[in-house]
Amino acid sequence: MTRTIIGFVLVGLALLALAFMPTQLGAYGVGLLLGMTGYVTLASAWALFSGPTRYISLATVAFFGIGAYTVAVLSEAMPYPLVLVTAGLIGLGVALVVGLATLRLAGVYFVIFSFGLAELVRQLVTWYEVNVTGTLGRYIFLPISATEIYWQLLGLAAITLLIGWWISRSRIGLALKVIGDDETVAAHTGIDISRVKLALFAISATIITLVGAIQAPRWTYIEPAIVFNPTVSFLTVIMALLGGANRLWGPMLGAIPLFLLFEWLSANFPNHYSIILGLMFIAIVFIVPRGVVALAEDLFKRARRKEAAQ
Amino acid sequence: MTQLLEITGLKKQFGGLTAVNDVSFSVGEGEIAALLGPNGSGKTTVLNMISGALSPTAGTIALAGERISHLAPHRIAHKGVSRTFQLVKILPSLTVAENVVAALAFRRDPLWGSRATERAHELLAEVGLAGRGGEHADDLTYIDQKRMELARALAAEPRLLLLDEWLSGLNPTELRVGIDLIVSLRDRGMTILLVEHIMEAVRALCSRAVVMNVGNKIAEGPTAEVLADPVVISAYLGEGHA
Repeated sequence: MTRTIIGFVLVGLALLALAFMPTQLGAYGVGLLLGMTGYVTLASAWALFSGPTRYISLATVAFFGIGAYTVAVLSEAMPYPLVLVTAGLIGLGVALVVGLATLRLAGVYFVIFSFGLAELVRQLVTWYEVNVTGTLGRYIFLPISATEIYWQLLGLAAITLLIGWWISRSRIGLALKVIGDDETVAAHTGIDISRVKLALFAISATIITLVGAIQAPRWTYIEPAIVFNPTVSFLTVIMALLGGANRLWGPMLGAIPLFLLFEWLSANFPNHYSIILGLMFIAIVFIVPRGVVALAEDLFKRARRKEAAQ
Repeated sequence: MTQLLEITGLKKQFGGLTAVNDVSFSVGEGEIAALLGPNGSGKTTVLNMISGALSPTAGTIALAGERISHLAPHRIAHKGVSRTFQLVKILPSLTVAENVVAALAFRRDPLWGSRATERAHELLAEVGLAGRGGEHADDLTYIDQKRMELARALAAEPRLLLLDEWLSGLNPTELRVGIDLIVSLRDRGMTILLVEHIMEAVRALCSRAVVMNVGNKIAEGPTAEVLADPVVISAYLGEGHA
């Protein structure tokens, strides 16, 4: 109990320090911090669903883009907080429909479907913009500074981690562990497997939608090719896997170094960026399939066992 | 005696193979019944259909007059059916107590928190695992895993308990304890259907037996009579022994 309180105090202090960071940094630094917090949130939200269920979702950018587009379409018509709520609800609605239709798909079929979903949404939005509204791109003029976007993302990241922490201690967290261990046993002990998966998918997708919505004013101009860029989905997966999708802090520990690395790579090797991304993807899946956090835990345990043996 | 489980015209086909063919029988409330038959006769397939792990090709299964066939396994569990598995299924990433808590937390009237932990330890004590709740399920011996699995099945306070060769693999002393445990469950009003190869246990426990061979029911009745039936003996031992 006291350890939990100390943990919360430390995390609170860290958040406070992070919230003050923009005053110490220039525009470039704030931009970097903003992008990094965005990916920390995306990877953590992705892992909420994909970590325990082991369903690799490539639909991240579908929801991210839905969030951004909602802001682009509604920002002139409604006050900003209401736009965010609407974006979240749209993301939730899409997640429930998609989840009901697809969570029965197993393994690789789900991966392909989720990738297809992102492309489908992008093509639908493109078709609508070209044929109905007549313009492909949209401008977002909202008086929101980079620092304000960063604060919102920081808040959302904290909420995401809080949800992850809460799930791990709740009945739904136990249900996830049981499902991960043995689905037959899970069903026979009375766990409604599809409902648990659907709930997690919906929570995860809603957060991802909100990341897209919050980041939208940063671009000023958006079009489907920008906000539905599949690289976002791939980066999210690789970050979460590097850190460890089954640990609370894993996705964050994967997202921070990889985000900085990719920033540096895209600045210095813009032409080879995709190749390096692909190679890193393969390397991570082969070398640390369960993530660096789990690897560190294993090494730590082994070292302690050795000590005990001597 | 009122019937708790009623199976009518049950059939299961896997492609061209008929694993269970037009099987009907019933189990009375508070009874221990045996489902017997040589290997591959379809006993486990029948249990799988009762618990919802498989859905029947044809026929109906009713629990206390209510049709449960074609329900999802978690719904059937909530109606009061629990089971153990022929090949023990443990939850390896959890502790022994957590294995039982999992069943308590998702039964029809769920228990959670300290009450669930307390109840889990009581159940473990009941099956002979007192004080072992903190161990990892993975580290238990095969027999202890079977005990834990029974505790998990009992956690749901089932009306109907399905035991799939739960007694096999026990040594003579353990077998005695196991038989006494099952008797005590019946005395509390639980109805039990067991698939078993240990005839000593079947004779000691079961008032009635149903025998299957190659997917068909070949005999049903009081255990002693059924086991003396020439058709049953020839199914187990071959034509020459009948």
